[in-house]
Amino acid sequence: MDLVLRTVVVFLLILVVTRAVGRRELSSMEPFDLILLVVIGDLVQQGVTQSDYSVTGTVTVISTIAVLTVGTAYLSFRFRRLRPLLEGDPVVLIAGGDLVSRNVNRQRLTIEEIEAEARLQSIASLSDVDYAVLETNGRISFLQRSG
Amino acid sequence: MSHVFASLPATGGSQGLIGLWTRRAVLVLFAAIIVAALLNAFGQRSTTTTDAAPAATLSLEAPSRVRGGLFFQSLVDVVPRRAVERPRLVLADGWLEGMQVNSIEPAPSSESSRDGTTVLTWNALEAGRAMRVWFQFEVNPTNHGRRDYTLEFDDGDAPLARVKRTITVLP
Repeated sequence: MDLVLRTVVVFLLILVVTRAVGRRELSSMEPFDLILLVVIGDLVQQGVTQSDYSVTGTVTVISTIAVLTVGTAYLSFRFRRLRPLLEGDPVVLIAGGDLVSRNVNRQRLTIEEIEAEARLQSIASLSDVDYAVLETNGRISFLQRSG
Repeated sequence: MSHVFASLPATGGSQGLIGLWTRRAVLVLFAAIIVAALLNAFGQRSTTTTDAAPAATLSLEAPSRVRGGLFFQSLVDVVPRRAVERPRLVLADGWLEGMQVNSIEPAPSSESSRDGTTVLTWNALEAGRAMRVWFQFEVNPTNHGRRDYTLEFDDGDAPLARVKRTITVLP
């Protein structure tokens, strides 16, 4: 029983942490993001399974995480009001060709990072971009100016 | 360009339906595992077994199912109704087979073996004076299976009370 409860607590904690640190860390793998993920992974193992070396414990934890993952995804799908809480909202970074500085700063993004994301999508310059949106999965989608 | 997707069924087809129900069945199985774990099917919640014999009451609080690598405690309470000259706890083989003994408190004054069991002896007990012994264990991960976890309280070689239990170490 304690194994299931520990898994639920840690799952919710990680959900809160990933929502709190912001979505840019979810898609990018800068050195500090890597440190965060590695440290979380190590600490989670200690907190959830502790000294448990059994296959039974492993099956229990994986089953719990699977059900929690599907459960939160279903809640997000079924109840629109929960979506901002569980997944967040898309954030507009460039609107009508103009940079929305407030949103960019709130997401701790630099112009260079947005330009790099644009180049990865074969967009040479931000002046070619009409709209840029930071999606809930941490990726930036670009809509180029027509003509 | 659209011909690239032509081979894919637009509505999913029976194959997609089978896949969907397979995934749902697996999730139901996962949910059943969680419910079983919450109901203590995989250990290691402690339960208490008591034998109120005429000469003494013997009580054992210990988990009946444990998992490899985990620590657990067995708590023994003895209340003799008469003076006991040589109080002994006789442990069946399941108590120590594949178990790491971290501590036994209070420590017995002597240890011996009797017909495959382990006999721990303490100093004399007065009538009505309770004795409580804490056993701290860690489960050896390679120690799978069900074993005899019977505990007996003796005065010398004379049995006074007995608690019959088993312990199952899950893989």
